[in-house]
Amino acid sequence: MKRSAQPTAVTILTIGLALLFATPALAIGATGTEPVGSATLVDRPAAYDGSRVDFEGEAIAAPMPRAGGTWLHLNDDAYARSHVLEGAGLGGYNSGMPVWVPGEGAAAVKTFGDHRHVGDLVRVSGTFNAACAEHGGDMDIHATELVVSAPGRRVHDPVDPWKLPAVVVMGLLAGVAFLAERRAGRHERTGLS
Amino acid sequence: MTVRPRRRDHAIVAVYTGKVIIGVGLLMLVPFATSVAFGEWDTALDFLISIFACFVFGFGAQAIFRTARDPSWTHGLVVASGSWIWATLLGALPLWLSGHAGSYLDAMFDAMSGFTTTGLYLLQDLDHVSRGINMWRHIMTYAGGQGIVVIALTFLFRGTAGAYKMYVGEGKEERLLPNVVQTARAIWLVSLAYLAVGTTVLWVAAMWLGERPLRALLQSAWIFMGSWSTGGFAPQSYNTMWYHSLTFEIICIVIFVAGSFNFALHWAVWKGDRREIVRNVEILSFTVTLSAFTLLATFWLAKSGVYPDALALARKAFYQLVSAHTTTGLSTIYSKAFVSQWGTVGMLAVTFAMAIGASACSTAGGIKGLRVGMIFKSLVRDVRKMVSPESAAVRGRYHHIRTASLDDAALRAVLTVVVLYAIMYVLSGALGALYGYDLSSALFEGVSASSNTGLSCGVTDPSMPGVMKAAYIVFMWLGRLEFMSVFALAGYAVASVRGR
Repeated sequence: MKRSAQPTAVTILTIGLALLFATPALAIGATGTEPVGSATLVDRPAAYDGSRVDFEGEAIAAPMPRAGGTWLHLNDDAYARSHVLEGAGLGGYNSGMPVWVPGEGAAAVKTFGDHRHVGDLVRVSGTFNAACAEHGGDMDIHATELVVSAPGRRVHDPVDPWKLPAVVVMGLLAGVAFLAERRAGRHERTGLS
Repeated sequence: MTVRPRRRDHAIVAVYTGKVIIGVGLLMLVPFATSVAFGEWDTALDFLISIFACFVFGFGAQAIFRTARDPSWTHGLVVASGSWIWATLLGALPLWLSGHAGSYLDAMFDAMSGFTTTGLYLLQDLDHVSRGINMWRHIMTYAGGQGIVVIALTFLFRGTAGAYKMYVGEGKEERLLPNVVQTARAIWLVSLAYLAVGTTVLWVAAMWLGERPLRALLQSAWIFMGSWSTGGFAPQSYNTMWYHSLTFEIICIVIFVAGSFNFALHWAVWKGDRREIVRNVEILSFTVTLSAFTLLATFWLAKSGVYPDALALARKAFYQLVSAHTTTGLSTIYSKAFVSQWGTVGMLAVTFAMAIGASACSTAGGIKGLRVGMIFKSLVRDVRKMVSPESAAVRGRYHHIRTASLDDAALRAVLTVVVLYAIMYVLSGALGALYGYDLSSALFEGVSASSNTGLSCGVTDPSMPGVMKAAYIVFMWLGRLEFMSVFALAGYAVASVRGR
């Protein structure tokens, strides 16, 4: 009985130790390994100010190179991986976070999201600043690590098939209205009614 | 007895409204050309459909309701206010066709917000919209700043009879030149000159900041339009926080302060009267109230320790407050940061600044500095009366282009409008509170919409209740036209139904 009790004690001890070490690991996970959402950061900036965070989002529009680094804007919204032109449903406003990448680190990002592109999905680790002293009080993340987790792509911008006939019909109607107005104006000028 | 409008009255209203809507259709040629230039064919078709829809309405109305009669005051006011509704209905079409608006109501919200230079928006996934759609958003706000009736007066009206009545109906009263059509053209001359200069300066700054030339040019033109018209639209969802540049922010501030000045003041300065800048009661009023609210917000933010140093604090506080007071609505902080960082006092300072607004006969909204200045001068006059001997004749005067005496009739008109604005602000705030938003946020957003500012603390959202969206559309319309022409339209509608 005593022999069989020993493994149980070891198991309990192991689980206990695992939990002891896992708790801080989980806590770090909340700010260090699992990406934090921009909505959370904007809603509770003081709680994360100065913390190391992981953040993932679609690189938007264009890089903004400056002395000593580059600004990236990463959107972690409903459109980060799918484009409205590809049939993705509307999912509210855009939301994201400006990320300051020192040196040449941002060069790894090749595709930026716009009307015709889904941008690279970029994951950064860095320090969150509720009001950055280096950048005039902006809310930002200063990245120390950057990984392109999924490459961006060009999306097709198809013409809706019903729009061309609609243009023709509306154009004809506008032409008729224009001619009718001209005719009415001429009648008025010549005293006819 | 209420007189029912006759067919000939409807004809006058329809013909002149048609002219304004043709003007809206012609404006769409700019985003159409933009879409074609960038090969955005689907968007280009959206604009063609919308342009033809405007022409069908405009030419159709003129063909069906033929009349050569000149509009009366009632007609002028009804045309001015009704045109904004039709322009909103048809201006929303390309936004809705783009697939980025959740509903036609959302698209109308953005169109009204654009034309009234408010700057709140419900368009979704702004960061992926086409260049054509972004051009249309900014053209709406640029044209709306001058006034869509002013556009029609400038380009589409041959005669001047009745034109002044529509011009007044659009919330402008001042004649820069004796002829109102010439005045409308002078307004456009001022605006286009600033467009050329302002866009060039922003373009150079954007390229210096690392933007590519073509992208920098488009962004600069759009930011200029959003700034000059005190509109607040920006091409990216990050608004002007996108640029992370003090230089860019200073240029924007100069442009939106210039845009918030009275066109008559611009014209006086153009004509060489530079002293008008320091003598004008609107500028004095604006300077005093802006300083007071900026100090209040700065004190509060310093006390809260939100920003790390004095420069960051001054930069953030000044930009948001000037943007609020000029009713521009551009911002360099997140909307929700007003709640999470600025707090109740910071939000109240911004709310009061938005409520007052900038100059009359400008692109700005709100109560206006002229009215605040006149009320203050009247207060000073009354205090002087109280401390003077009974036999003394105490008169008040104010300077706005020319020096005028404060007479009771003018003051009564001023107070009427101020009371109407106050009622609208309270109603807009109460509506938000009734829908469960906290009072400071509801008031902030309601005043922002009603004063045509466009700063948001997060209340405006595609998921906002439909009633609030519709109410904000009405508040933006009322605020831009300053009530009277909207009341005239309501009276006209009632008379059409119940008159004899």
